[in-house]
Amino acid sequence: MKIKKKEIESEIFTGSMADISFLLIIYFMITSAFSATRGLDFALPDENQDTPEIKQEDSVDVYVMPGGQIQVDGKPIALEGLLPYVADKLKQNPDKPVILRTDPQATYGDMIAVFDELRQAPDKVGIEIKTISIPTQREIENIWSMLGIAG
Amino acid sequence: MALVRDRVRKSAAGIFTASMADIVFLLIVFFVLTYKVEVDRTKMQLPDTWIRVKVPEKAAVVSIAPPTEGSIIRVSTGEEMSLPVSTDEEVVTFASTLVAQDPNKEFIIKADEDVPYERVDAVLDALKQSKVKYIFLLSDQKTVDQ
Repeated sequence: MKIKKKEIESEIFTGSMADISFLLIIYFMITSAFSATRGLDFALPDENQDTPEIKQEDSVDVYVMPGGQIQVDGKPIALEGLLPYVADKLKQNPDKPVILRTDPQATYGDMIAVFDELRQAPDKVGIEIKTISIPTQREIENIWSMLGIAG
Repeated sequence: MALVRDRVRKSAAGIFTASMADIVFLLIVFFVLTYKVEVDRTKMQLPDTWIRVKVPEKAAVVSIAPPTEGSIIRVSTGEEMSLPVSTDEEVVTFASTLVAQDPNKEFIIKADEDVPYERVDAVLDALKQSKVKYIFLLSDQKTVDQ
């Protein structure tokens, strides 16, 4: 007599897979961040390089005041007028650096708006500003004291 | 005559879950690929700019909280969660240590747009004193309506 063997179906138990998957999703959702990973870059001069001494008349001086108003070479100017002015100056001397100074009472947002505008020079006026210098208050005071000007 | 009742076949009500596993795995793959732990979770309104370049991964972070939260400065090596510092000298020490290990170490300044520039200037000065070469000013994308 032939005895029929009862065949046991082999399978992987997947009942808990959904639980594990959802736990993983929740973990990733909580710990991952879609953070801002872009911004404006600038390189500081290498201290080994010879930094040329720049006279104020050899540069374009941009001063950001509280409230976001700007003065260029001592004259008040609207943000829209900044790049045409700078472009005009750079046409005479393309190596002219732009010095971006900001009043301590102005906001960071005010300074960034002007810096962003200067960085857009190649797109807006077709001229590249080779050097944009952002001196700190201490550096400005050092220069003033060297020149014997009270701050 | 025997009455023969028609047996009504009852089908169990259920939600079709066969595709759930595919969706879940797709989500997991997405999260694994885009996973990035934010080393500084200070909530702030970043300034908006048109020009935005990608900041390097693992760059050190110096964050300045909004004035409403006391403009607290926090620092992170880029690999560990940020820690608050109380003086500008601590920023110099922190940055100098990192620059001593890697002279080309990049630094990110993450500051709220309403922070007085004085605070940012102090951080910039600290980084310059520490001989930092590359600085990134974190920003959000500016849009036409802004």
